[in-house]
Amino acid sequence: MSKLKALFHPIFIFVGVQVAWIVLMAVWINWYLKNSRKFQEFAQKIRPDLFADEFNWLILLEGCLLMLIILAGVYIIFVYWNKQARLNRLQSNFVSSVSHELKSPLASIQLYLETMKYQKVSKEESEEFVEMMLADTERLGSLINNILASSKYDPKNMQLQCQPVKLGSFLGEVVEGLKRQFEEKNCEVKLEIQEDCVLLLDKRAMQMVFNNLIGNALRYSPVGASLTIRVRKKKKFCEIDFIDRGMGLTKKDMKKIFRKFYRVTNKKSQNIEGAGLGLFISKEIVRTHKGQMRVFSEGPGKGSVFTVALPMDKNSKLKTAANGEGE
Amino acid sequence: MAQTKKILVVEDESHLAKGLQFNLEREGYEVVVADDGKAALQCMREQTFDLMILDLMLPKMGGLEVAKNIRETDTRFPILMLSAKSTEEDRATGLEAGADDYLAKPFHLPELLLRVKGILRRWEWYKQPIQGQENFHFGKMWIDFATGKAKGCSGEFLLTAKEALVMKLLISKKGEVVTREDLLETVWGYDRETETRTVDNFIARLRKHFEKKPQKPQFIVTVREKGYQFNPDS
Repeated sequence: MSKLKALFHPIFIFVGVQVAWIVLMAVWINWYLKNSRKFQEFAQKIRPDLFADEFNWLILLEGCLLMLIILAGVYIIFVYWNKQARLNRLQSNFVSSVSHELKSPLASIQLYLETMKYQKVSKEESEEFVEMMLADTERLGSLINNILASSKYDPKNMQLQCQPVKLGSFLGEVVEGLKRQFEEKNCEVKLEIQEDCVLLLDKRAMQMVFNNLIGNALRYSPVGASLTIRVRKKKKFCEIDFIDRGMGLTKKDMKKIFRKFYRVTNKKSQNIEGAGLGLFISKEIVRTHKGQMRVFSEGPGKGSVFTVALPMDKNSKLKTAANGEGE
Repeated sequence: MAQTKKILVVEDESHLAKGLQFNLEREGYEVVVADDGKAALQCMREQTFDLMILDLMLPKMGGLEVAKNIRETDTRFPILMLSAKSTEEDRATGLEAGADDYLAKPFHLPELLLRVKGILRRWEWYKQPIQGQENFHFGKMWIDFATGKAKGCSGEFLLTAKEALVMKLLISKKGEVVTREDLLETVWGYDRETETRTVDNFIARLRKHFEKKPQKPQFIVTVREKGYQFNPDS
């Protein structure tokens, strides 16, 4: 069954179509050459004026050109068809993982609400439940933001509302906001500010980037692994490294990890939730800040380092650009 | 119920696990939580449980694998799967992997509790020996309900949990007619979506095991427009 399926792979169909049509062409040319004299005789009887001219090279060239154009057309259709098929596959992966991610916090919220409806709950317990529900709504909210952002963050129409931000204290705030998640994973965060810098940032967008990176580090690391966030200056950039002790990446994954909907697929990560959007959005946001985003990993199991590099000297330009867009 | 039932909740979402634990404990069950597949199997080795509530998306080892792992050594331990995957296909894969019941997230609390109760009730009923015997002999064949082992026409084999339940009900009412609805109610329990055709499929499977000529059954006889009857002495 799978062999039969493999025969219907686009590549085979493509090659098959090409072979078939070249063979047909050859058969036709062969037939034409064999019978050309008869045609000529036949044609001369009806329209002798057609044969006044000599053999026309221009028409032959035109024919060849036409054939080439058809070939190129088929090739282009094939390439786009393939691309479309890949996108469809990614899309369906995305829908299933997103629906899972949306349903988990929703299930939790529903469970606590129904618990409060059907069971007798003490005041302390209900307070705890409300806390957990709030955490879940926050999770739902950030996921929905990610989904909406992924369709919105086209660099051409992204509007940044930049303000001067002191990076050290901003990162401190972000980490503080995720305190509960760190506690749940028993993760120790080290914030190393080697040189603090003041940058012009869209605070909300950048918070999304940091949340995504820290969230990933937590999800793809074992319980109890530490996370280091380091801020340093390098040439004209301020670099923020997120150094985790998680499952690391292969070279192939490092290349593709920032693509939309891309998810690392291996045995260890197959049960980790994710929509394949976080890093794509983060990169887009950093890019609109005229910065860069990189990843480095020594290999699977050796942790990875995600680096956000934000420019320091282009701030003034960014500011005017942002103001210009705002007007 | 003299003894409190012990339930293993395998769920990596800590909030959901806590909520489940709270509710199940309120219902009077004893609850242990495992947060990944490997921990779940570890718990199963170290303690005995009456039921497992199993999430499918788990770190380290997925829920389906956990279920298959358990089914290798124990064909009858009750498993209730709980998953965000809600299509018919996912449901079928879950049940095939060995789940007794499948509930999609988000779920309603009363429904979950009802299903837990149903599974435990069926399990309890199953564990009671027929006429004080764990082994039941008929013809040259026998069924050991404690282990799920059985000897059919072509040698020894393992009955699945549902097959064993069907046989148990038929045998406990031997000589009487058991209707399809009775079988559905007792074996499949709460789930009303199951059709009476399912029962017929199971009977066909059991006949293949126990009848020399499945087309002309001796032991598991069809009573027209009523149901089935088990005749041990024919």
